[in-house]
Amino acid sequence: MSLIETSNLYKTYEVGDVQVHALQGVSINIERGEFVAVMGPSGSGKSTFMNILGCLDKPTQGKYVLDGIDVTATDLSELAGVRNRKIGFVFQGFNLISRTSALENVELPMVYNHTPASKRREKAMQALEAVGLAQRAHHMPNQLSGGQQQRVAIARSLVCDAPIIFADEPTGNLDTKMSIEVMELFTRLNKEMGKTIILITHEPDIAEYAGRLITFRDGKKVSDEVKK
Amino acid sequence: MIDTLLSVFRISIKAIFANKMRAALTSLGIVIGVAAVITMLAVGSGTQKSMEERFSRFGTNILYLRQPWNLDESISSPKDITMNDVRAVRRLRGVTAAAPYISSGFAVKYGITETTIDVLATDTDIFKTYDWQLASGREFTQREVDTYAQVAILGDTSAKTIFNDVDPIGKIVIFDEIPFTIIGVMKKNGQGGFGFDMDEGTLIPYTTGKVKMNTGWKSENRRALDQVIIRVEDFNKIDELKVSITNAIRNTHKIHSLGKDDFQLDDFASFVEEAKAASKTMGILLGVIGAVSLLVGGIGVMNIMLVSVTERTREIGIRMAIGATSADIRLQFLAEAVTLSCFGGIIGVLLGIGVTLIVAANSTSIPAQLSVGSIVISFAFSAATGIFFGYYPAHKASKLTPIDALRYE
Repeated sequence: MSLIETSNLYKTYEVGDVQVHALQGVSINIERGEFVAVMGPSGSGKSTFMNILGCLDKPTQGKYVLDGIDVTATDLSELAGVRNRKIGFVFQGFNLISRTSALENVELPMVYNHTPASKRREKAMQALEAVGLAQRAHHMPNQLSGGQQQRVAIARSLVCDAPIIFADEPTGNLDTKMSIEVMELFTRLNKEMGKTIILITHEPDIAEYAGRLITFRDGKKVSDEVKK
Repeated sequence: MIDTLLSVFRISIKAIFANKMRAALTSLGIVIGVAAVITMLAVGSGTQKSMEERFSRFGTNILYLRQPWNLDESISSPKDITMNDVRAVRRLRGVTAAAPYISSGFAVKYGITETTIDVLATDTDIFKTYDWQLASGREFTQREVDTYAQVAILGDTSAKTIFNDVDPIGKIVIFDEIPFTIIGVMKKNGQGGFGFDMDEGTLIPYTTGKVKMNTGWKSENRRALDQVIIRVEDFNKIDELKVSITNAIRNTHKIHSLGKDDFQLDDFASFVEEAKAASKTMGILLGVIGAVSLLVGGIGVMNIMLVSVTERTREIGIRMAIGATSADIRLQFLAEAVTLSCFGGIIGVLLGIGVTLIVAANSTSIPAQLSVGSIVISFAFSAATGIFFGYYPAHKASKLTPIDALRYE
């Protein structure tokens, strides 16, 4: 069984009187340990697809099974727990909580699964070490560079031992040097820790880091190629 | 669970300290509300306590006979309370003493000292009613009452006012242009008597007052008394005695069997009732003031929490994405509202204690008594305000969907 199995996903929004068909029958399977890049122009449905895969949204029609859990049959409050256990998010805007130290940001997902405080601290320190930021643990987000903030966000996505990392334009706000640093980190997490990484990007050179490239257009998957 | 709550409160405190000025202004309503409630409850209970002390000092087995303050209109010609009534009461079994009571303020002169003093004109029975005790000298005698003797007994404070350190016994003082010999000085007894403070006053025979004083009393009916103060032997038989006193006075006033009383007989219980009614009114007033200020404070908290939810929509989205449930988000914002209002509550409690202590230290007329109960209650109300007014914003936050919240700019 694949880690991610979607069959015939449809998503339709009502915008005023107009119906927007954001997804029109998408079926994709992703195996454990894959590094997948999702590309497509804006409006292609890739963000909608990612929201559904990330359990932030539910499809109008179709079936989605994540690590054996039928997400389409699970209600929203239980999805919070599924996200916590199965998925780590890395966003374009870093999305760290301001006025809160790097360490506490990394601890946050464990607050919501009721990990004891001492255990939280220990695991958060380990995650920061994994991204090479242990010595910056007590810095506030505004005292860190963009690349460092993104690495804190990556540490946060690791800390609950979720098998999947969703990265939505993770290098969109970074310069080339920092982008390379972050992408090399993702590669290392994929190779060394076996994390399944699903990356949205519109930059072909960033997509190059992935082993599989899925392209979206007009709500449909138009290509799905695995590199050698 | 406790661990989670702790981290929720840590986050709350952090969020509040990020906007110190805003938090301070928001909680001001609650600060004022709580401080006002504590101060006023302290003054209220202090007043009640000092009243109770006064009541117990002038005795529970004392009755007051007087004309009603609000005379029934159907009584065309009410009879004055006179010595006939006093004598009728004295004849009853179970009455220890019955003293006539007329009081008024008079100008007093001694040497170059001039002042005004409350004079109580009475007879020897007064010494058997109240527990006033002589510090020096002697009481006046029945013979002195019968012969219109110009003798006076000073209260502790009035003796000091007129004589300073000089021994007043045997000195002659001018009351209302009549010379009186001071024959005794009372010990300080605190606020005694209802409406007559012995410490600040003086006692003279009622006969002398009625016949010789030029102003005030002389123009009135010479026989009329303000009141009769009656002491009964046994407090437990006070109700029976009230019936027999009423019958005796109806008899001297010649009221026929269907006529209404043209007099009033009050005991300690009726004063207590009045005082209780007054403090109940005050309590209701306090409750209203407290409720209004907490309401205003609570609306302030709700307002700022709504602003906070909007400002932190993105943060809510992040928290939801990484695993916070709606209930977690609701708890978070509820905790912030409660922390904010409890912070106001704590400052309010301190301010209330401070104001109460200042009032108590600087005023003898407003007794203030802090009670732990009032502090706990008003603090609990501030917390409850936070829960009540924080619920709606917290609920609103919890209803956000993670995608919409994350997309919010």
